[in-house]
Amino acid sequence: MISIQVEGLTRRYGYRVALNDISFDVPVGGVHALFGNNGAGKTTLMRIISTLLQPHAGKVAVLGFDTKEDPIEVRKRIGVVGDKPLLYGELTGRENLNFYSDLYDLESYTASASIEDLAEQFDVKRWLDEPTKILSTGLRKRFDIIRSLLHSPDLFLLDEPFSGLDKDSTQVFRDYIEEKRQDRTAIVTTHNLSLGSEICDDFITLRKGEIVGQGPISEFDGNI
Amino acid sequence: MGSGLSYALAIAKKDLVTQMRKRFEAFSMFLFAIIAVFVLGLVLSSATFIVPDPETRLIVMTEIGAGMLWVVVFFTGMFGFSPVFISESETGTLKGLSLAPIPAWSVYLGKVIYGFILMGLVELFLVPISMGLLGFTFAADVSPIFILATFCLGTLDLAAVGAMASALTMPAESKATVYPIVYFPTATTALILLVEITRMLAIGIPLVGPGIVDLLIILSGHVFAMVTLSATVFHFTLTS
Repeated sequence: MISIQVEGLTRRYGYRVALNDISFDVPVGGVHALFGNNGAGKTTLMRIISTLLQPHAGKVAVLGFDTKEDPIEVRKRIGVVGDKPLLYGELTGRENLNFYSDLYDLESYTASASIEDLAEQFDVKRWLDEPTKILSTGLRKRFDIIRSLLHSPDLFLLDEPFSGLDKDSTQVFRDYIEEKRQDRTAIVTTHNLSLGSEICDDFITLRKGEIVGQGPISEFDGNI
Repeated sequence: MGSGLSYALAIAKKDLVTQMRKRFEAFSMFLFAIIAVFVLGLVLSSATFIVPDPETRLIVMTEIGAGMLWVVVFFTGMFGFSPVFISESETGTLKGLSLAPIPAWSVYLGKVIYGFILMGLVELFLVPISMGLLGFTFAADVSPIFILATFCLGTLDLAAVGAMASALTMPAESKATVYPIVYFPTATTALILLVEITRMLAIGIPLVGPGIVDLLIILSGHVFAMVTLSATVFHFTLTS
């Protein structure tokens, strides 16, 4: 079973080619690293997989659904964590999570139970009813991770997920990924190569929009 | 499975709660509206002194006042409404809405509902104050249903146009300049109709020419066209 299928993907910004005819498959399960320097095309690729950006050529399918043809089906199955928390500062953590639960069609009972459970797991229970604008960067990041997990996605797209997290939070999130790695897939982009090497099973290295390295993480030589 | 409307209502509710907690912003909208009506009222009452006949003066004030009311509503809406998408874009939360498995039109509709309620609340205070300061009243023989329909349709139209203008302005570098340039031409048709209908509601329906019902039908058509057209193409503003 394939989680992500990318075929001949090309994306340009004006004359600049961000991704140049790349193809690869990601199997279901496990944690997969996406390495590359700034401007290599990692974020563009993540945005295309998460349906936020359209490819100019080629196609991308997530769990069998085309990102261009069936974006809503794709979105139901992905959980995205980026560098910026997608939270409303005026709302409390609980209100933010309830709002996203509504958008993901979660039953209110299921959503409440899920929020309590994840808040306990990520140790933010005592901040649930505080406006998120007064929380520290790390706490807001934890709430953002909870937001991405509310609907139990099959595919996690994690763009620098550990930036802004303290040691304990990083460990909690790593444990969560570890627990789910059998049947869920995670794609992680990170500049922290040693952390990436520790948690990932295999890797893809992008350079100037092209794949220059791919394979099991044991074969990664640290060269990006 | 929720409907697009239920997602739209969730978005509108979230925006209203957020707006009410930013007390300063909501308050400044009301303050702007009141000050604008007060200043226009002062100018209007001193300017109409050149009309010697009190009865003619009242008609002139009513004619101008009906137009002024919508000018204030338009600018208040522009003031309070321009950030609906721009602020979501700047804080990054628009990405959260774009990633949600909901149709793009429900995001647009949510913003329109939010704008309608917000501007409606402002108008609840603004209309009686304007009637006092701009010196106009609604004609006695006009049904209150027409008054209600005019304000509901007018507010909905301005909210629909304002939300789309705000969405179209998101990618621009100088948003504050681009927003009125996009908003004003698209809102002009509605404004002309609203001023004309409100004038009729104030001084009475003319014996010749189109009546209030005719103009309300045209206004409804404009609202329908704006909402459906914007909702249909709105997904282009969320993905690139």
